[in-house]
Amino acid sequence: MERKELGLVFFPAFDWAISQTHPERQERLLYTRDQLLEEGVLDLPQIREYRPGMAEWADLERVHIGVPGLESLVKDAHRVAAGGAIEAGKAVCSGETARAFALVRPPGHHAMRVVHGTRGFCTVNMEAIMIEHLRRHHGIGRVAIVDTDVHHGDGTQDIYYHDPDTLFISFHQDGRTLYPGSGFVEEQGGPAAFGTTFNIPLPVGTGDAGLHRVLDELVLPVLADFKPDLIINSAGQDNHYSDPLANMSVTAQGYGRLAEKLRADVAVLEGGYSIEGALPYVNLGILLAMAGLDYSRVIEPDRERCPAQSADVTAYIEKLIQERRQTWRERENLKRREIARWGDEWQRRRSVYYDDSGIEEEQRETARLCHHCYGWQGIDTSSRGSFGRKSAYAAIIPRNACKRCLQEAQDAVWSAKQAGRHQYYYIQNRQTDCLERIGGKK
Amino acid sequence: MLLGIDVGGTFTDAVAVADGRVLETVKVPTTHDDLLVGILAALDHIVSRCPRQISRVALSTTWVTNAVVEGKLDPVELLVMAGPGLNLSGLLPVTPRFLTGYVDHRGIQVQAPDDGELQQRIPKTADSVYAVSGKFSVRNPDAEQQLNAWLKEHRQAEHVTLGGKLSGSLNFLRRTNGAYFNAAVWRRFKDFEAAINQALAARDIIAPLVILKADGGTMPLTAAGEMPVEAIFTGPAASVMGIQALTDCRGTMVSLDVGGTTTDLALWQDGQPLLAAGGAFVERYPTAVRAFQLLSVGVGGDSEVRLAGEEVVVGPLRRGPAMANGGTVPTLSDAMIVLEEASFGSRKLAEAAMDQLALPGLTVREKAETVLQAAARQVVVAIRQMLLREETKPVYRVAEITQPVILDLQGVIGVGGAAAPIAKRAAALLGAACVLPEHGEVANAIGAAVSRPTLEINLRADTVAGRYSVGELGLEAALPVGVRTVAAVTDFAKQLLCQRATELKMEQGESEVVSLESFPVVKGFNRSGWIYQCRMQLTPGVLMRLEEA
Repeated sequence: MERKELGLVFFPAFDWAISQTHPERQERLLYTRDQLLEEGVLDLPQIREYRPGMAEWADLERVHIGVPGLESLVKDAHRVAAGGAIEAGKAVCSGETARAFALVRPPGHHAMRVVHGTRGFCTVNMEAIMIEHLRRHHGIGRVAIVDTDVHHGDGTQDIYYHDPDTLFISFHQDGRTLYPGSGFVEEQGGPAAFGTTFNIPLPVGTGDAGLHRVLDELVLPVLADFKPDLIINSAGQDNHYSDPLANMSVTAQGYGRLAEKLRADVAVLEGGYSIEGALPYVNLGILLAMAGLDYSRVIEPDRERCPAQSADVTAYIEKLIQERRQTWRERENLKRREIARWGDEWQRRRSVYYDDSGIEEEQRETARLCHHCYGWQGIDTSSRGSFGRKSAYAAIIPRNACKRCLQEAQDAVWSAKQAGRHQYYYIQNRQTDCLERIGGKK
Repeated sequence: MLLGIDVGGTFTDAVAVADGRVLETVKVPTTHDDLLVGILAALDHIVSRCPRQISRVALSTTWVTNAVVEGKLDPVELLVMAGPGLNLSGLLPVTPRFLTGYVDHRGIQVQAPDDGELQQRIPKTADSVYAVSGKFSVRNPDAEQQLNAWLKEHRQAEHVTLGGKLSGSLNFLRRTNGAYFNAAVWRRFKDFEAAINQALAARDIIAPLVILKADGGTMPLTAAGEMPVEAIFTGPAASVMGIQALTDCRGTMVSLDVGGTTTDLALWQDGQPLLAAGGAFVERYPTAVRAFQLLSVGVGGDSEVRLAGEEVVVGPLRRGPAMANGGTVPTLSDAMIVLEEASFGSRKLAEAAMDQLALPGLTVREKAETVLQAAARQVVVAIRQMLLREETKPVYRVAEITQPVILDLQGVIGVGGAAAPIAKRAAALLGAACVLPEHGEVANAIGAAVSRPTLEINLRADTVAGRYSVGELGLEAALPVGVRTVAAVTDFAKQLLCQRATELKMEQGESEVVSLESFPVVKGFNRSGWIYQCRMQLTPGVLMRLEEA
């Protein structure tokens, strides 16, 4: 097979919706489909279209721990969207295409490691499922994720918070003004992976100019320092000036230039709910840019509506860039300080709200600091919803776990089970690539 | 009786059929300098033998294909209104003029064509033909129609092809390419049309004259005069329709038309040959011309046979005729002659041809069998590829992924001069039945004779805006009251299709829904209406099936 510039997995899931009037519904990619068909891009010699497969349960459980299990929470549509991301990743890793774009729905970047329900329209994390599949089956090591959705990719951040091999960069509308209310500069990763979570919270009204300053002066240099084997773009499109759920002023041209400069190996669609005014143009711009084609003529009919970026915003972004560059330069020192501060165990408590399912989750998370491996993590989780209460204890054993961490993690789960304060007990073992359910409630 | 005439590369065939029987067939050499000479010779032969009332004359001709392949194309002024999107520079067969004016995906005309710009940019050349194509013109034909009217008025344009009338499907690139080729063959085809009409009138034949299209359907010659590009690639299409008339295809089948240098494969599901997604490629340009999904393999009777290491390779080159006919290299036909599965030329020379192959320890017959097996294996590889491509083609609904269509090949159908030996062995390798219809040698002409008309319309109805559009009809208008549900939209589409068929003077048969999509539209947090997209067509197929003779 001759190598193509771009593999495209287009899966608009025309028979699936969260609910009839939910923004995440059948109509979401209808206008994008019309635009792509009308442009004739699927007939271009640079582009090959792929059909998504169904992601296996094992692909999902490599990343997620569903309480009580994923089967009750995950629909076929989620497995197909994840399968679409995997298909895109495989096209690139096998050398069939130089890059790939998984234009799939539903999205996934708000889905965390532990899943009790659906939050921010997301149930499982498409990018993480793809990355872990590629690590398992295609020998991929270091990965960088650049999340360009307007909302902070808190799910992806959570999954990779303790993984030094995965750099997670997210720029988004500041969490003080938008869902999910996280993604601040202080969130930088657990001690073992300190600095590999890199948040860039942007002010309301950021336009193409601000976005590209951030890209040129922060994102691209940071990526160059990290030297990933693979760059993944969580390609949300809600920074667009017409998006109904956010307040930014980016255009299709801004997104096209972003895709061209970023040169991501795989882009996966995330959010974007201006389904008529933005998505047809932004998706087309990204697709053409990724395929190395001229996207300069992709201009929204109502572009004069896009407000100019104010001087205040520009100044704020300048300062933010300075601060973030400084932090990145000092990351090794900061990491040492962080490790010294925590000793041999890091921990945090937090609440997670599942807005689509109306579930409140309380989490206590611990991370073992280890000189021989990345250390294991324990998660004590309980949630409240219409079902009453659910609670679980899980241990996560890293890919490179040492004997001691392996033993400690298993002991922790067994002693939690003996204490009997939870309904479910899990060991997610990245070494053996399996999720064990330990006794507990069936 | 129905008359069918098929102009091929070598022979022009004609048949007369009636009451499910073939009454008469004839083969005359194709007259390349003037196709009409051969067409009329074949016609006269049939008419003189069958003095019955002719109810329809159907012509399948390579006329358009030849014009394109031989570059006998008129210069075309290609005008595009591309709006925002892909830069088409370098993607079209000729350099277009990009003009102001476009429609967006909702069918809203964002910008109208600009008269001043037209005056300035469109040269005043005598007897130019024009092709006009606008983005999303199938959602709103205004821009294309305005340009058409302007060209007629200010440039006295004799002919303007509108992309949106050529196809009502979304794909601006394909419509633009199709419109260009249509305009480029329009004038010469007009001359051909006039000559045929004159010749039939001189013979007192008053039966309707129809022409075969790339999708195996027929259209009246008068309609073809405006859309000649539709009559491209009719050779393979005629053969596919012939197969439909001569066999009882059920389930998944593959048909092989084995010619001199290639084998054309078509894929069948539930008795229907599948169409190519999007349309046919002309030269190397994707167009919106409806055509069968065909795969061509470089294996034919005259294909050269050689050894690559210990492997026998058949084709894809032809280095002259079979050695049995005085050629210089072993061919597939030579292998068939040795095994008595073909009979022409010198058997001795065919045996010498097989003997040349350095396959130690094998007799001449065994060598010939090895060659035929190798050819069949090459065809089987292509068949599997075709099935796989169909099974893995992109789909857009979850249900189509969770319950995928698995194609279980039931039969291999062979037509054409050298089909039987290849079809038989390919079927055996695939564990499928082999079907070899009678009259396979004139399947093309039979296909033309009995093929039904095809016509398609694409209706898009938006109940929120209260508007509908049909590209093929150049319509964008208020949606009639009462057309708000799937059932009503389907009925409405049917009504529009019948109207169109009547206008084109096509015989009316059944119609069917090709695809129907409905999307709830939400504004704020309430459903405000639906968008329906309905593709409706006259049911394609054959007017009669032919019994085994």
